[in-house]
Amino acid sequence: MTAKRLRIFALLAISMVFLLAWAFPIIWSVLNSLKTDSDVLAYPPKLVFAPTLEAYRDVLFGSGSILPNLLSSVIISVGTTILTMLMAVPAAYALARLRFRGKKFAGFYVLATQMLPPVGIIIPYFLMLRNIGWIDTYQGIILIYLSFSLPFAIWLLVSYFEDIPFEMEEAAYLDGASRLKTLWRIIIPQVRGGIAVTVVFVFLNAWNEFLFAVVLSGNTVRPVTVAMFNFVSVEQTLWAKLAAVSVLAMLPVVVLGVVAQKHIVKGLTVGAVKGGGRR
Amino acid sequence: MATTAVTSAGIASEAPRSDFGRVLAQRERRFAAALLAPAFLALLATTTFPLLFLIYTSAFRMDLAMPFTNGFVGSENYQMLLSDERFWTSLLVSLVYTGSTVALQVIIGLALALLVMDMKRGQGWFRVIAILPVVLSPAVVGMIWRTFMLAPEFGIVDFLAINAGLGSKNWLGDPTLAMVSVIAIHTWQWTPFAFMVLLASLASLPEDIYEAARLDRASAWQSFRRITLPLLRPAIVMVIIMRTMVALTAFAAIFTVTAGGPGTATEILNLYAYRKSFTELSIGYGSALAVALLIVTIIISGMLFAMRRAK
Repeated sequence: MTAKRLRIFALLAISMVFLLAWAFPIIWSVLNSLKTDSDVLAYPPKLVFAPTLEAYRDVLFGSGSILPNLLSSVIISVGTTILTMLMAVPAAYALARLRFRGKKFAGFYVLATQMLPPVGIIIPYFLMLRNIGWIDTYQGIILIYLSFSLPFAIWLLVSYFEDIPFEMEEAAYLDGASRLKTLWRIIIPQVRGGIAVTVVFVFLNAWNEFLFAVVLSGNTVRPVTVAMFNFVSVEQTLWAKLAAVSVLAMLPVVVLGVVAQKHIVKGLTVGAVKGGGRR
Repeated sequence: MATTAVTSAGIASEAPRSDFGRVLAQRERRFAAALLAPAFLALLATTTFPLLFLIYTSAFRMDLAMPFTNGFVGSENYQMLLSDERFWTSLLVSLVYTGSTVALQVIIGLALALLVMDMKRGQGWFRVIAILPVVLSPAVVGMIWRTFMLAPEFGIVDFLAINAGLGSKNWLGDPTLAMVSVIAIHTWQWTPFAFMVLLASLASLPEDIYEAARLDRASAWQSFRRITLPLLRPAIVMVIIMRTMVALTAFAAIFTVTAGGPGTATEILNLYAYRKSFTELSIGYGSALAVALLIVTIIISGMLFAMRRAK
């Protein structure tokens, strides 16, 4: 009896350690963002303090506000998501449901593009965009983001399209509906859930991207993942402000992640079954 | 004409071999082409073309700081690469980083999944908390660890080390500790992924086999070794493949935490190619390094997929 109890306690302790290890850096950032700089630097670290929104006020409305950067992030992520979905939904439907020559090769090609290491292609992107004057522009960054969002979105959507029964389409054809009309009216409503999950993932990956952004952005277009560096320099780190910016950068993805929690595992593994992944 | 009729009928195997069937199959092909065209044009422009361009650039000397020296050099960049000690070091750092982070993720993830699987209550907590690190930007994760977690005499890790009697350490300034730190950060962020996938696979295993094993008086270790592990093998291999590809291409977390330093202690091949191209501005040689990275990725993924096929 006592041995069993001991075992339960041990398991509980291990679980708590892991839950804490995963949650703590995030909770600690939130706490630090609510402190003054002197409270952040206090030793030993302060768990109890007088919370203030000063850091957020400075970061959002002070000089060197990161509002433009948050806006950049939103424009890039939303733009990437819309463009990706417009191209990925039809392509995924064709790959999942239609018969045509070279289908296997087309599927393999999409997979292979997903395996390209980002560092490998950032050099040509930089040279190409520089040639056409698209460095530090939204169209430049969004175009480049398609390189990772499209293959991922196509594969994720294929897995949802494959789940719908074929009878639905056949019935629509027998009623004389055109292919396009069938796709739009019958098929797409069936995969609404899958489309929503794909949107979440594409948005998330675009919001979190760093390498392409750091090379291809500039003073006009600078997402928050890059702008964050303004708060750490060799001379000094603006601790509370850095914490506030980190929290603002985390907020949308954490909310999306928790809301879409049940679907995340499927989304994370779908590329996996067939190919690579990101980051 | 006759041959096309045969092939189209062969592809549309369920369609009747009539003119009507052939017309339908042709329409289907055209419709498919129209649907695929935008996505494939975009992929050609953003992946295939840049790749060819990269290989082309790697045959040039292209120095943004000294443009007057630029020109075609053939395989010179690659010859330079073979005798470049920094390249071989970065390759070794990449392999150590990838090997250790993937092993840690799978071992900890699996152990934790087995533990949580047996829990009657509280599984939901794990599912929610485990999502958090995975959805974060590696750049933000790196920034948080570099400052609030690892900064000497201020970060929480250092605080714990001092209280454990280890004394304050320069977590990111000492070459060995810096490597340990970047490995730990990657493991922190991505173990939840292995955990979630393996937990989902564990939950889908058939209960009756374990029942039979219990009746045969198999020990917990025996049923893990003989039942769980073999059944879980496909999921484990899949996690290994995915995590390896990601670890090989990791960039943001190391870049924000150590930027490859101190010196070149945490400079994985990725970072070396980046630094060469965009800090030292040698784009031609940087391209050759990027091609080397691509080749390493292809070799390793080939080995992993062979492992997946092997029984």
